[in-house]
Amino acid sequence: MKYDAIVIGGGHNGLVNAAYLARAGKKVLVLERRERVGGAAVTEEVFPGFKFSVFSYVVSLLRPEIIRDLDLPGHGLHILPLESTITPLPNGDYLGQWGDHDQNRRELYRHSPRDAEAYDDYGREMHFMAKAVQPILGMVPPDPTSLAPSDLLGLLRLSRHFRNLGREQFHALYKLMTMSSADFLDEWFENDALKATKSASGIIGTFLGPRSPGTAYVLLHHYMGEIDGVFRAWGFAKGGTGAVSEAIAAAARRFGAQIRTGASVASVSVKGNRATGVVLEHGEEIEAGVVVSGIDPRQTFINLVGEKHLPDDFTAAIKRYKFRGSSGKVNLALSELPDFTCLPGVGPHLRGAISISPSLDYVERAYDDAKYGAFSRRPYMDVVIPSMIDPGMAPPGKHVMSCFVQYAPFDVQGGWDDRKREAFGDAVVDTLAEFAPNLKRAILHRQVLTPADIERVTGLSEGNIFQGELALHQLFFLRPAASFAKYRTPLRGLYQCGAGTHPGGGIMGASGRLAAVEILKDGA
Amino acid sequence: MLKETPFHPRTAPLCVSHAWRRWAGYVVASSYELSHEREYHAIRSSAALLDVTPLYKYLISGPDAARLLDRVVTRDVMKTRVGQVLYTTWCDAHGKVVDDGTVSRLDERLFRMTAADPNLRWLHENAVGLDVKIEDVSARTAALALQGPSSRAILERATGADLSGLKYFRVTRANLGGIPVTISRTGYTGDLGYEVWLDAGQALPVWDALIEAGTPYGITPTGILALDVARIEAGLMLLEVDYFSAHHALIERQKSSPFELNLGWTVNLEKGPYVGKRALAEEAARGPAWRFVGLEVEWESLAGLYAEVGLAPRLPAVAWRASVPVYSGSAQVGYATSGCWSPLLKKYLALAHLEGAHGAAGTSLEMEVTVEHHRKRARARVVKTPFFDPERKRA
Amino acid sequence: MTDAIVIGAGVNGLVTAAYLARAGRKVTVLEARTHQERASEIGWIPPRVFRDLDLVRHGLTVTPPDPWISAPLPAGGRLELWQDLSKSVESIRRVSPKDAERWPRFTERMAKLARLLETLYLAPPPDLHSTRVSELLRLAGFGWRARRAGKETIVDLLRILPMSVQELLDDWFEHDTLKAILGAGGVSHICEGPRSGGTAFVLLHHHVGSPRGVFRRAAWKGVGAFEEAARARGVTVKRGAEVRAIVVKDGRAAGVALASGETLPASVVASSADTARTLLGLVEASWLDPEFVRAVQHIKTRGVTARVKLTLAKAPDFERLLVAPTLEYLERAYDDAKYGRVSSRPCIEARAEGSTVHADVQYVPHTLREGAWDDPRRNALGDLVVKLLGDAVPGLAPRVTAREVLTPKDLDARFGFPGGHLYHGELTLDQILFMRPVPACAHYVTPVEGLYLCGAATHPGGGILGASGFNAARAMLGGTR
Repeated sequence: MKYDAIVIGGGHNGLVNAAYLARAGKKVLVLERRERVGGAAVTEEVFPGFKFSVFSYVVSLLRPEIIRDLDLPGHGLHILPLESTITPLPNGDYLGQWGDHDQNRRELYRHSPRDAEAYDDYGREMHFMAKAVQPILGMVPPDPTSLAPSDLLGLLRLSRHFRNLGREQFHALYKLMTMSSADFLDEWFENDALKATKSASGIIGTFLGPRSPGTAYVLLHHYMGEIDGVFRAWGFAKGGTGAVSEAIAAAARRFGAQIRTGASVASVSVKGNRATGVVLEHGEEIEAGVVVSGIDPRQTFINLVGEKHLPDDFTAAIKRYKFRGSSGKVNLALSELPDFTCLPGVGPHLRGAISISPSLDYVERAYDDAKYGAFSRRPYMDVVIPSMIDPGMAPPGKHVMSCFVQYAPFDVQGGWDDRKREAFGDAVVDTLAEFAPNLKRAILHRQVLTPADIERVTGLSEGNIFQGELALHQLFFLRPAASFAKYRTPLRGLYQCGAGTHPGGGIMGASGRLAAVEILKDGA
Repeated sequence: MLKETPFHPRTAPLCVSHAWRRWAGYVVASSYELSHEREYHAIRSSAALLDVTPLYKYLISGPDAARLLDRVVTRDVMKTRVGQVLYTTWCDAHGKVVDDGTVSRLDERLFRMTAADPNLRWLHENAVGLDVKIEDVSARTAALALQGPSSRAILERATGADLSGLKYFRVTRANLGGIPVTISRTGYTGDLGYEVWLDAGQALPVWDALIEAGTPYGITPTGILALDVARIEAGLMLLEVDYFSAHHALIERQKSSPFELNLGWTVNLEKGPYVGKRALAEEAARGPAWRFVGLEVEWESLAGLYAEVGLAPRLPAVAWRASVPVYSGSAQVGYATSGCWSPLLKKYLALAHLEGAHGAAGTSLEMEVTVEHHRKRARARVVKTPFFDPERKRA
Repeated sequence: MTDAIVIGAGVNGLVTAAYLARAGRKVTVLEARTHQERASEIGWIPPRVFRDLDLVRHGLTVTPPDPWISAPLPAGGRLELWQDLSKSVESIRRVSPKDAERWPRFTERMAKLARLLETLYLAPPPDLHSTRVSELLRLAGFGWRARRAGKETIVDLLRILPMSVQELLDDWFEHDTLKAILGAGGVSHICEGPRSGGTAFVLLHHHVGSPRGVFRRAAWKGVGAFEEAARARGVTVKRGAEVRAIVVKDGRAAGVALASGETLPASVVASSADTARTLLGLVEASWLDPEFVRAVQHIKTRGVTARVKLTLAKAPDFERLLVAPTLEYLERAYDDAKYGRVSSRPCIEARAEGSTVHADVQYVPHTLREGAWDDPRRNALGDLVVKLLGDAVPGLAPRVTAREVLTPKDLDARFGFPGGHLYHGELTLDQILFMRPVPACAHYVTPVEGLYLCGAATHPGGGILGASGFNAARAMLGGTR
């Protein structure tokens, strides 16, 4: 049986891609190696009664057009707001950032009257920046080396976009793209914990510190949702991040796509310079007009396709493409809620995020450890308690806690083994327990995931959750390689739709959709 | 959580309507009584006592205090005398209004600035190279407004001082119930009135002293709803309602110059350099694109629209804050942003922004009115503001 | 009566003055210091400036170092890189045949990129928002030139400019010493480490104008040549004349007021001092919008280089020496700077001139987080430098007869380097081209009409002597040749 399209990998981008292709009437087959779809956006009941979003934790910027086009709410998606962040401080105090404007201002004011005012100005600036960047997110990157009319037109459109921004905003955007988040925030704020918490969002999933140039633009992430008209695509999915994948999968099936789990692809079949289908691990061959890979560029091109079918400079570029997984995850099943010294008892703060980022130096030192091959002895953490927002994630009265941790380098000295994994888990728990002393006795079960575990389970190379670092030289028309940033590849009929393409990672689905658009344009 | 003003222990029990609202992160009463009507009439016939603590207040002191303010606001601060109060706007570098408020010269090198929005950062940013101290005293300073024909008598009784010498837009020190306060002859009602500024720790005794002195004169705690009607009658604009700060605008169209807000008289182009001067001079030369004017809705036209559906006219006793189109013929030439029925003048008033020449006094236009779910238009006439300007205001 | 006043008799100030005079203006240069003093003698002088000002005739000599660097090898001996490409290849082959094989290819690609950058340097920065046809044509011309240089060059331009020098070098080479030599060039005079983005650009910036395969700049002697050239064109240079303020009338520059009390009128004033000193120090702030002031206050000038001068009893056996064995060494040195400390193991680039050794030491913060700069701390730094140099060059330490330690703080006080930064502003990606020193001043103008900036604070920045001055003069003359 021949399909119109085979999608390798049932991660959320692959599923989005399949859904759009199926919606356009194509016969689509999704092949997922694991027993469940979702890739790194999965919810698993690791311990009975306790559901973890194993590898991820929040939905960041799932594209509104995808939510609408695939009617994801009609397929079970329900995104709950995550409205606050508190940063516990070593002196027993905390810094809070709240959703309500007056409440937020009041909280900031007690730390720094000037920062309280600067916060609004900063928010406004970010709004403008988000508006300036948004069209680029939804754009297929033109090839800057090509003289083809479509590419020249694309470049022209891009330059016209920048010109239309006007000088002031263009320069502000340029600064945002090139500065470190610490330097950028230094221009707005004085409070260290505030700067550290905000800049920490600039280093998520990257092997860089808050003082590293090129980390400022990720600060935009939090404001992208605003310009979609407070669409609230940013938050916590009921049922965990796996619910997002399930909703997309349901939509894809509704449009007629087939999804096979437990089906591991061993190679892409190539005839001449055309991809003609795939071969599964157990030998089954499946033909398709078009093969789309939702897995990362290294797995796709080096493992599944093979260097011999690809031009040398392309292979060199893919080999140069950096992964460098830097994050780990610790999921905890708790018998009781954590009691934070800075805000004792149960309160609204437990429904938001808790950021362990008391100062810029703290986060920078965590990065320093990783630079020289160790996991951070005192890591940066972004912690949420999903059961506070979605009680179904844990048995009644009990809770789950999801800790996203940096840094845990994939290339840790001596490699990751069980002992090191546990030591990493201990570092995380020990650090957190400094701020919530009841934590250790509340832990019923603990799951620790290092980048090695992430790679082993999901296939993501080096455990990088974004399918490749979000660094300037690997973005936009350079992602994953120059001249092949338009979801196409050197092989006819082979496409890429994962986060290893523009616009990159986070649970956005943008790559999946843009790839589908291009595939349909090529008349698949 | 929202903040409570220092007067809250007094105002809370009085607020039988439980109608509270937010103002600058505080809770204040929309009306104390079940309806705001009597409170409004107190403003115009006896004396209304309003808690205006949520205003932002800054103390600017030091050798360069006057220079800092002169760099920031559009009026000439260097020429002010001790005891003088200026109402002024301040603008961004492109001559668009950031905020409006007052500047009071309390002493040779001491000023108090009030504003609707926080301005601490803006003041600091303009203080480069100046020997000046900027203090945010918003929380430390409580403020009450006492407005209405009996306000002077009440204050004289409460302070034991002769306030006939305190002229319009002047400020002086006084002692109220034994507590040192400053009293300015300012207000937001366009009537005879005063504002009392005091240390927040002394809020309750001052309140009590005023209530005691004022009870024989009919002093009435008054909320924001009543104030809104009075300020519209006075033709006074409100930030975030009638105009938007250039610092919060998301697009150019949301910004306004002082000229476009009928505040060209606050723009001094003769004094030294200040933020936005160049742009303001250019605009003064070519004329503003918009005007901010008063509208009087014609009764017959309005009544006629309701009569068509068999109703008596619905008059907005509570002032509305919205955006209502204003037409000239078939074209929309502007929009009204505040409107209310004036119980005193017996007229339906509105404040509106009109393009170009349509803002000339006497121009006949139409304002949209929604009658039983249908959009209609009532005839309205451009009039000069203030709609209500009693002699006692300046006497 | 003077037409134009130039503040500061540094290279850029004198170059601006000379070009203005060449175009017929009467120019006065005002210098606060009473005698000439050069802080740096390394850089690239664009050939055009060289020729136009006849600098050779006025006594300027430029000596390219050969080898342009030598670095101790872990097993003993040194890795030396030469002006001659094949000599360098041989030298590298002795420590890493693989790297030797890649050297020609690498240097060719770097040279291509440097040449492209060079076309941007003796001209005002690109203005993407210009409506002028001439500028749009210039931009198109650059794009065309880049395209002509090949697909690979375009990709390099887009990839390499934002990259960290570590990543660039890890992609190409294996040998630590070789990588450290290049890496040190990528972190020169910038408060970043080799892992920081934008450091590949810094390496390229310092490569512009140098021959292929040479990644350090030449030293030049004949300090007075620039002043001679200016005087020869009729420029008046007044020393001991400190400018206290720039006189502004109605938003226009009207001259300067000296510390002595004297006022000098002029309709045009160009300042080669750094941006903050000029606009926040010499101009009354009410002439400047607060957003502009904020932008100027935020210019990053984190000086991280200390200058240690050692007088030896005998000339050492090197011309240029690098003490920094690996990229990790550089990164750790930078780590200390991040937390306001002197690097416990700093990077040292030493240049020998006869029996004098000039050492650039990184990283040394301008302001220490704990404590303040005093003589004991300076001496400790001097000791550390002598020790590390002595480890690298046996016999050197006992031969030191005198030494002078200038921290960035001293450089600030003595030479007016803001934050101790000799470029008046770091060459981070957000402070180059049309962002330098702040976007509003990127074309040498300021919000005050008739007041210009002509120093290293402007494009193209430091290390390229006279280019800023040249560009500024052109802008002041209305863009004419």
